[in-house]
Amino acid sequence: MKQEQPIISLRNVGISYKRRILSEPFWAIKDVSFDLHHGETLGIIGRNGVGKSTLLRMMAGIIKPNIGTFINRGYSASLLCLQLGFIPYLSGRENAILSGMLMGLRKKEVKAKIDAILEFSELGNFFDEPIATYSSGMKARLGFSVAFQVDPDILLVDEVLGVGDEDFRQKSTKVMREKIRSNKTIVFVSHQAAIIKQLCNRAVWIEEGVTRAEGKPEEVLAEYNKFLSIK
Amino acid sequence: MKKLFKYTELILYKTYADLRAESERTYLGFLWWIFEPIMYMGVFYIFFGILLGHRTDDYVPFLLIGLTSWQWLKSCLSHGAETIKGATPLMQQVHLPKVVFPIILVLTDTVKFLFILSLLLIFLWLYGYGIGITYLALPLILIVQMLFVLAGTFFLAAIIPFIPDLRFVVENILLALFFMSGVMIRSDIVPAAYQSFYYLNPIVTIIESYRNILMYNVWPDGFSLMVISIFSLICIWLGAKLIGRFEYIYPKIML
Repeated sequence: MKQEQPIISLRNVGISYKRRILSEPFWAIKDVSFDLHHGETLGIIGRNGVGKSTLLRMMAGIIKPNIGTFINRGYSASLLCLQLGFIPYLSGRENAILSGMLMGLRKKEVKAKIDAILEFSELGNFFDEPIATYSSGMKARLGFSVAFQVDPDILLVDEVLGVGDEDFRQKSTKVMREKIRSNKTIVFVSHQAAIIKQLCNRAVWIEEGVTRAEGKPEEVLAEYNKFLSIK
Repeated sequence: MKKLFKYTELILYKTYADLRAESERTYLGFLWWIFEPIMYMGVFYIFFGILLGHRTDDYVPFLLIGLTSWQWLKSCLSHGAETIKGATPLMQQVHLPKVVFPIILVLTDTVKFLFILSLLLIFLWLYGYGIGITYLALPLILIVQMLFVLAGTFFLAAIIPFIPDLRFVVENILLALFFMSGVMIRSDIVPAAYQSFYYLNPIVTIIESYRNILMYNVWPDGFSLMVISIFSLICIWLGAKLIGRFEYIYPKIML
């Protein structure tokens, strides 16, 4: 397995942001290297604000690194986006179509999946009502149901597993876990060691925009926890 | 090619969604796209037509044609300038070609403009102007203006995310343009010395073409319109290039 070529490779990647054209750049990612292999679930751990979301954005092809090399060997990758582009005055159905199209599906593809979305979201007759009338739990249900239908080669997940009210949270967490356990390639970002340990085959620890450790989750997390206890 | 289809589909659906969202926001919905311009035109009719006594000459239709065309251009440019900047939260979650955002805006504003244009035509017919053979050239002028508007919107949308302060400058440039584009005046009022400069402004030619067709049944000047179209097409291409150049930079701009 290990000899296979990785589907995504990062070598000494650095990404900077600028507030103004002339202002000093801010380096969210300074020096990150790791590989992603087909079918694995890679966990990226690090405290809040160490550039994990920036990394995901780069892997999703939204931004490019300023230094270093980032290679994606031809696989589609996208973020799990909840409630992407939702417009309050439109119905659940219309928002599902719009959101799905924004995530890269064709209109007919979303339409083919609309029954699955309706069923999974459990919205019933509310599906054709404007989402402005929804509770936040209902919106979360719709958002998750649409996002879950988008099936890229590599799924990038930022913190969230389950959403919504208690019942739906259990249900959505369950399907996410199933997806993670399947042969799907997933990058999962979190600051919670326990979840990474539970779900991932491999882990990368990032601190202040630099890779500090890469390898088996237990080993990486041990180092991470040691670091936290010294802090 | 497949991508082009995909994004065309997205642009059309988002345009539909935005229009529907706008009409759902008020009680009267899309009827406002009719009432609002009626009220707007009414103000000008009352002021110029009744108060200043232009009721019998052709100043009111002359002015309304100018205003209708101008409003289309102005709304696209001033709303369109903000489109890429306004889409930052969206573009930080998915990769989309940024050029779709100004296109969507121009399309939604064009649909609303078509309502206003229909009202203008009805007003002109009630006022006593007939439909001449030159009406055949009307779609052509609409296309020329649309190309011109797209070109301007692309450029503004491309640079505003980097220099948001320009928004205030844009508003005033638009005001200056309003006075220099023959919305309210005849071109023969402009002193002879400035005439050739005056006609460098494409909007002057565009508005005059509308008036020639709708009021005087005169064919518009094909050559000028062709020059404007070619110029606009080049600018659209350059503007799209510019936006494409910053494709991966826009999502990095912090708000």
